[in-house]
Amino acid sequence: MQYMLLINESEDAYTGEDGARVIEDVLAGHMKMIEKLSASGNHWSGNRLREANTATTLRYENGGQGVVHDGPFAETHEELGGYYIIEADDLDSAIEWARMIPIPGNGAIEIRPVWPDED
Amino acid sequence: MRTEPNRALQEARPQVIAALAAHLRDIDRAEDAFADACAAYLETHAAPRSLEAWLIAVGKRKAIDAIRKENAETRAIEAEAAVHPKESDMGEVIAFPDPIPDERLRLIFICCHPAIALEARAALALKVICGLPVVEIARVFVTSEQAMFQRITRAKAKIHDAGIAFELPQPKHWGERLEAVLLTLELAYTVTYQDAAFARPGIDSAQVSDDVERLSRMLAELCPKEPEVLGLAALVILAKSRDKARVDTNGVMVPLSEQDTGKWDVNRIESARDLLHNAARYEQPGPHQVMALIQLTHARRIYDELVDWDAIVELYDALALMRPSAIVALNRAVAIGQRDGAAAGLLEFEKLPSKKLATVRTYHTANADLQRRLGRQSAAIAAYRRALDLDPAPAEKRFLELRCAQQQPG
Repeated sequence: MQYMLLINESEDAYTGEDGARVIEDVLAGHMKMIEKLSASGNHWSGNRLREANTATTLRYENGGQGVVHDGPFAETHEELGGYYIIEADDLDSAIEWARMIPIPGNGAIEIRPVWPDED
Repeated sequence: MRTEPNRALQEARPQVIAALAAHLRDIDRAEDAFADACAAYLETHAAPRSLEAWLIAVGKRKAIDAIRKENAETRAIEAEAAVHPKESDMGEVIAFPDPIPDERLRLIFICCHPAIALEARAALALKVICGLPVVEIARVFVTSEQAMFQRITRAKAKIHDAGIAFELPQPKHWGERLEAVLLTLELAYTVTYQDAAFARPGIDSAQVSDDVERLSRMLAELCPKEPEVLGLAALVILAKSRDKARVDTNGVMVPLSEQDTGKWDVNRIESARDLLHNAARYEQPGPHQVMALIQLTHARRIYDELVDWDAIVELYDALALMRPSAIVALNRAVAIGQRDGAAAGLLEFEKLPSKKLATVRTYHTANADLQRRLGRQSAAIAAYRRALDLDPAPAEKRFLELRCAQQQPG
């Protein structure tokens, strides 16, 4: 199966006093994870996303054309900061990968199965 | 011998469903296959040496028949190959693997996966593993049958769509997964205990609490080296041991300290004591063991005719460290009120977070009891009324009304 790991993190963590150090630590954490993913032969992909203030959301209510809104969809204090798409045999393996994603401060990783081709 | 075939089928269910689910990797198919196999058993005169093995073999065949029916004829062979990669002869019902592998733990871990909402986990485990009717599950969770059915359906869909594994997790992942199982059973225990203690007229609540006890014992049998699992089983069994003493012949709730120990089930008390004794050997105390020890200390009244409140206060102290909560603090205050008298109890009671506990019925009944013992009748009446406002079930309602009526407003 493929799973999408959505990285919801607080952008403030990167802009604070020791933001530069936090960025460095988090990048190192991602590099470590990427090395492990690649070494395991996992066909993964992923990206860092621009800040949430660059986000635009199309919101749909009862179908229709969809209304363009400024900002991200998440109604939490965290912003979607990036994602991975990874291969995993099952949810627990996906959770295990997700736990390797560094999160400074508060945050959440949403784990969503990618819709399989054959369904 | 085919005495009581329905009961035998009910007893065989967990093993058979678990084996079928592990084999078919689909809980719905496993439930259908089990139902079909049971129907077949009731129709035949077969008297297999192992009913479980017979049902598993027939169930597998019925599942293949069902898949064949669903698929176009040309795809049937693929389906058979996919579901039975290793079995060459599907018509063979006589050759059973012996002993049949026990897959019950796998199924428990699937139904109680932490990615499923807690309440849905408990419902799923009771429905799938024990075969408890949805209407019964809905009743103890105080919801409609339809809503409960939807919840169970959603949970099954999550297992399928989110890719919850049908494999037993590796032991290194047991911590979190077992914790989820324990929480599930604890919730099931809590709702059934409330339900059973406050039985509503005309409803037999024993079925649900029987199944919760069955699941807890099953888990203890499957994980004999997990002390918290043994603790939880002991806790559930001890609650069950008091089933016959909880409500009197007039349908009035009897508080634990006033229950007739002659109506307690001494066999259950002893089996819980043995479980806790085994758990203690691992020297890994945990909240379920402590909660069970508190209940066991109450149960010892059957031998000693009195309650060791010193021990109970100490156990609540330990529990408050492991799992601090307003409810634990409340129970601790009540225990102090028994050990040191109502005045000391009230002092402890007044330290409790009153806002947090305002909607908790036992908070007001505990207050009422302390006030009553101190002879402060008006305060007691007020507290009983607050408890009565929080929708107690009939047996408790009658008890509170009686107690309230015995007070004279000053």
